[in-house]
Amino acid sequence: MEAKKLNVEMRQGEGKGAAGRLRSSGKIPAVIYGHTTPTSITVDAGEFRTAFRRITQNTIVELHMGSGVHEVLVKDYQKDNLTGRILHVDFYEFEKGKSLRTRVPIRLIGNPVGVKEGGILESLLHRLDVECLPRDMPEEITLDINELALDRALHVSDLVLPPGVRALQASDQVVCLVAHRKAEEEVAPAVVEGEVPAEGEEGAEEGAEKTDETEEKEE
Amino acid sequence: MLSPKRTKYRKQMRGKMKGRATRCTEVSFGDYGLVALEKEWITNRQIEACRIAITRHVKRGGKVWIRIFPDKPFTKKPAETRMGKGKGAPEYWVAPVKPGTVMFELGGVDRAMAEEAMKRAGSKLPIKTKFLVRSSVE
Repeated sequence: MEAKKLNVEMRQGEGKGAAGRLRSSGKIPAVIYGHTTPTSITVDAGEFRTAFRRITQNTIVELHMGSGVHEVLVKDYQKDNLTGRILHVDFYEFEKGKSLRTRVPIRLIGNPVGVKEGGILESLLHRLDVECLPRDMPEEITLDINELALDRALHVSDLVLPPGVRALQASDQVVCLVAHRKAEEEVAPAVVEGEVPAEGEEGAEEGAEKTDETEEKEE
Repeated sequence: MLSPKRTKYRKQMRGKMKGRATRCTEVSFGDYGLVALEKEWITNRQIEACRIAITRHVKRGGKVWIRIFPDKPFTKKPAETRMGKGKGAPEYWVAPVKPGTVMFELGGVDRAMAEEAMKRAGSKLPIKTKFLVRSSVE
């Protein structure tokens, strides 16, 4: 898998004030950790956005800091959930030649037979936890679902993993299935047990209103 | 319509809805989601209207997840009643929604259909909404 390249700088200030100033100047505060001592860095927000249209944990990133190069993975990131702006990135520096654990996206390919027969494709597992050497790390794991019939499921054991990659999840875990299409339910008003009247339990509501009216008359 | 099966107390205090959502902020089950951009109490009738709008548009294909639940009782005093004499009777149920909450999710349909379905659902709500795609689908 081809590594992405990013230019980073050492970060001087710490705390939310300094981080806020960095963000307003178009930079993202970040950190590198792993088998070395943690280092606070900054990444250019525009450069990061161009390199990572979609952030995945299994992309090897070359961080160019001064004369040194760090080979890292994106371990975690914080995002503003309204604007989608990246607020902070954690880079994990792995040891070369040592196996690591990461998450690889699963891509379903094809149109299942079961869907053509009227079923619905449900994808239950979107990412797979794997253990492998950094050089063996796949970009994504593909799964052919063309033959998937109605009421059938594909499991982790059905995934074809590249050599040197080991799945960490149970082999009987369902990746996707084709389920029967349900008829549109007419949800009946819920019957409330206990003391709270719900919408639909008219008796209780009427009773409550009557009590209020009685109180007023008593006044 | 959605409502709790049983509750410990009939009435609740109104409470505050400060800040943004910290939970339910990502599309977790389906492929597409509808995100709230404002804070509001969403009633069980509005949730049901959204569900119907989505289901009818996708013609019962795909799967819909409702990520919010109306567990807060909304009380109302009867019309032409003088003030005082205590809190009104529970009228319906609401779900307090903060900006950033993923309210509905949809899976098993293509993006164009999901976008239109979510647009129709958003028009049933008293708040501004945004269409969201699960990061691994893009």
